[in-house]
Amino acid sequence: MNLLPVAGPRATWGVLWREIRRLPVLSVVAALVITGASAAGLVAPWALGVLIDNIDNMADKAAIVRVVVLIGLAAVLAGVLTALGVTLVARVGETVLARIREQVLDRVLQLPAPVLEKVRTGDLLSRVGDDVASVASALTEVGPSVLGAALTIVLTVGGMFALDWRLGLAGLLAVPMYYLALRWYLRRSAPYYKQERVAMGERSEAIIASLRGSATVRAYRLEDRQLAKIGETSGTARDISITVFRLFSFFSSRINHAEFTGLTAILVTGFFLVREDSVSVGAVTAAALYFHRLFNPVNVVLMEFDQIQTAAAGLSRLAGVLEIEPAPEPPDHAGPSDASLELQQITHHYDGPGVLTEVSLRLEPGERVALVGASGAGKTTLAAIAAGVLAPSAGTVRLGGVDIRDLGEDRTRAQVALLSQEVHVFSGTLLEDVQLARPEAAAADVEAALDRVGALAWVRALPDGLDTVVGESGHPLTGAQAQQLAFARLVLADPPVAVLDEATAEAGSAGARELERASAAATAGRTTLVVAHRLTQAEQADRIVVLDHGRVAESGTHEALLASGGRYAQLWHSWTGTSTPDQPGERTTPASAST
Amino acid sequence: MSTGELLRRAIRRHRGRMVAGVLVLSLHQATEAAVPVAIGIFVDRAVTTGHVQPLLWCVLMMVVLFAVLSNAWKTGARQVVWAIEYETHLLRLEIAQRVLDPRGHRTGLRSGELLSIATSDAEKAALVMRSVSIGAAACTALIVSSVSLLLVDVPLGLGVLIGVPLLVLGIQALSPLLTRRTSSQQEAVAQTTALATDLVSGLRTLRGIGAQHNAAARYRRSSEATLRATLRAASTNGLQDGVTTALSGLLLAAVAGVSGWFALNGRITIGELITVVGLAQFVAEPVGTLGYASQVLAMSRASAERLASVLSAPPLTTTGTSTVVDSAQPLLTLEGVSHGSLSSLTLTLQPGESVGVLCYDPRDADALLAVIAGRAPEHTGTVLVGGTALEELDVDVIRRTLLLERHETDLFEGTLRSNLLVDAGLERVMTAAGAADLIEELDRPLADRGQSLSGGQRQRLGLARALLAEPPLLVLHDPSTAVDAVTEELLAEGLAEERMGRTTLVLTSSPALLGKMDRVVVISDGAVVAEGIHSELAASDLAYREAVLR
Repeated sequence: MNLLPVAGPRATWGVLWREIRRLPVLSVVAALVITGASAAGLVAPWALGVLIDNIDNMADKAAIVRVVVLIGLAAVLAGVLTALGVTLVARVGETVLARIREQVLDRVLQLPAPVLEKVRTGDLLSRVGDDVASVASALTEVGPSVLGAALTIVLTVGGMFALDWRLGLAGLLAVPMYYLALRWYLRRSAPYYKQERVAMGERSEAIIASLRGSATVRAYRLEDRQLAKIGETSGTARDISITVFRLFSFFSSRINHAEFTGLTAILVTGFFLVREDSVSVGAVTAAALYFHRLFNPVNVVLMEFDQIQTAAAGLSRLAGVLEIEPAPEPPDHAGPSDASLELQQITHHYDGPGVLTEVSLRLEPGERVALVGASGAGKTTLAAIAAGVLAPSAGTVRLGGVDIRDLGEDRTRAQVALLSQEVHVFSGTLLEDVQLARPEAAAADVEAALDRVGALAWVRALPDGLDTVVGESGHPLTGAQAQQLAFARLVLADPPVAVLDEATAEAGSAGARELERASAAATAGRTTLVVAHRLTQAEQADRIVVLDHGRVAESGTHEALLASGGRYAQLWHSWTGTSTPDQPGERTTPASAST
Repeated sequence: MSTGELLRRAIRRHRGRMVAGVLVLSLHQATEAAVPVAIGIFVDRAVTTGHVQPLLWCVLMMVVLFAVLSNAWKTGARQVVWAIEYETHLLRLEIAQRVLDPRGHRTGLRSGELLSIATSDAEKAALVMRSVSIGAAACTALIVSSVSLLLVDVPLGLGVLIGVPLLVLGIQALSPLLTRRTSSQQEAVAQTTALATDLVSGLRTLRGIGAQHNAAARYRRSSEATLRATLRAASTNGLQDGVTTALSGLLLAAVAGVSGWFALNGRITIGELITVVGLAQFVAEPVGTLGYASQVLAMSRASAERLASVLSAPPLTTTGTSTVVDSAQPLLTLEGVSHGSLSSLTLTLQPGESVGVLCYDPRDADALLAVIAGRAPEHTGTVLVGGTALEELDVDVIRRTLLLERHETDLFEGTLRSNLLVDAGLERVMTAAGAADLIEELDRPLADRGQSLSGGQRQRLGLARALLAEPPLLVLHDPSTAVDAVTEELLAEGLAEERMGRTTLVLTSSPALLGKMDRVVVISDGAVVAEGIHSELAASDLAYREAVLR
């Protein structure tokens, strides 16, 4: 489901216009200068016409010198105005672009929880990535060249009319042909472009899957199947691309027809006008040269039309993000009175059957509670609800006695943090990564936080210590190290309540013990709800809640649950693997339990 | 295969279309050059004379000229595009085939880099044909223009033919300055975009600790810095455009002045004056095209070099032709194997036996897997599969005998069902792998190669796939790390049942899995330090207990 809206044309232009209006002086000056540059470009063909008339009338050399000086001066003027105009237009475009991308990212980062819960990350990524890029190229590369070309066209047509209105009309004969050619092409190409994008997506998908999974492809002898798949998708994409180009070549040929019509019409009209002596040969030549000069700018406008359309579509998606209302901050209500966390009668279902049914749970300030259960028992959902990231279908979450719906996003976040299973190392230096939790924290504070979670030793051993670049293209970190960074961020953010849903298992047994210690250190003194992926996580908790099919099956301390011989006891004995449930006294205590 | 050979082969493979394309595109450029000439002739012969008959001839000339011009481009460009598209396709398949070769490859490249070679480099290498064809056509245009100019007037023609290329080259000499600015600007833009996608990828992490405001502030700073860089580049861009405009205008003034003077003296006609002025403006285009063609060629060469390095990479594993796998012999024997952190490791798997291997140091596990998978041909000691040395066995025989399911489960496009490869016993095996919850979703199309599934779901699917393949020897690496304790217990039981009577090796530290194995081998510092059944080891060996019972 795609919940991110796309803005209509009015709202889209509104966004662009609003940003341009914020730069009133710059925009007006840029428009004037770039128009002046195009106008200065018109002098040369006109002067050439004058030159021809002078020669025709056997004028003296001085007249020729005057024309040459005029062309030269116009060239210098056009050069200066172009340099200035291009710079100014780019300045407007770049500034508008920067403002829009900042607003979009700001809005995306603060999407209201109910929206965030339902959008796909891929959709968000394509908006802040591809859409911003297509708008950027339109505003800063395509835009100025199309704008310049369009101005040149308008002014040149004006110039042709100034020479003689009949020559101007003759040139305009090309306009309907250009228009029809463009309309013909856009109508036919749009579906092919769509097909092409789909086919290229499928092709990359087939290649990516095969290459990333090449070890598996070899192990299962799937190379022929995968190669056939790549061959098929690549062949389809190739054939569509060739078809699209065929269409384009017809379009291009229609443009040539329009050029022929305009140029020949001017020359033939000129022929009759000269014969009647109503215009000079020079004027006809100037008009023909004007028209010939238009071939390139017209091509620029027509060929970039596609990209302008793509950019407009991208801009409407960006404007769509800006249309999402930020979550309203509720009026100042009393804040949480303590660090307790209470879930009352929580029931939740996604689009299908219920995930949680009437779960109630209260964590006293400073208490550590572990959630245990099989996959699909609802642990992660309950954790998200407890942290206020997910709104339950029914029931109430209270932080320090206050309903989180009355607290609002910012105050909820100051009270409770969620460490989810998604471990992300942010690109940049390690210091910057941890500082995301509290930007004003000094390097010493960050070191203290890293030390508390047992990460300082390896951080110091990194090539540049705290300033080592980590993340996607930086120094690779292990899963356990990434998790420790998450804990360090939690220490810096310092909320009274923490909900942990991190899977420490990937770290291997030695790493898992490290992380257990880090987790305990990071949450010391906080009210903590832990989703126990490992049973030692449960054993260390003050209380254990066993979830089964979305309901609380058991609840109590480790010892109490073992003594009761229920589901948890069964699990524990199977896990430790040394004794049967009938002889609880003989069980082996894991050595790590003491830490 | 060398870079040059790869590029030459590209052209040779499509020589028919290339020859046709180059000829017809050259014709197109010649007609483009002829347009200003034709305007000159039209004015000279028809407009200035006022006679109807030359007018008709001139209109006919325009019809023919534009008919040739338009058809020539359409036909020529299509031939070249066809050749480029087909060559890209062939190169792409060739790379995929090389990368997926059963014996692996020694390119040392990661999958991301291989991916960009198979997609973007294949496309760029095939552009050699665009470079050659537009380069040849631009040369034709230059020749036609030169001949026309020299026919009008030799000194004037020479002046234009020397002046215009000097101008174009002079402007191009300016561009290193520009490219430097532009590349630093592009870098800044790329960084800001990367920051945006990075923050959005970690959005849920940010929201979890309430850091979204801080992240937004960081992005704003980066965006501002990028804006400053792009504004600096914009002024360089403007300068280049301005200089180009001014210089070409001044050249036009000079040409107009000289040819106007000649026309006044009667040395050339007015039509010829128009031709000269028109061509002086036109000639800049093919000169610029030649510069562009050489850039495309350089880019294409760079990509072809990367393609060639992959295509000529030797295979990773040494394989032989033997097909003898003796079922009476141990299915897998390692004798005194040293590789990486392993030192003289000895391990034997009897037929039908299930063995758990616990490595205290994960490097030992990685080294052991590399040896078994044949990814470490430089190891010492012997590795026997069914009594025959691994290096002597035929690659397909090895793959039919030994299956290694990696820790990270790779899934492919399609449905869950198509990913599991075998249909018989599907539901039973999925239940055994602890993946009963996914049975209802078997026919759902898999988005994003299964990235939308949880880590635990992917692991359980990988296990089910491995069990369904029923290999004589199955090697599993940490198959349950992302699975919760309850499911792990089910999965361990299912695994033992499914592999009953077959040979299985599991590298794991999970007590649930180790407890179901016939025998557990403990490796520390690269050698076997303990052996026995799980419960005994757990009861007697403190180090073992600490490693396993987390």
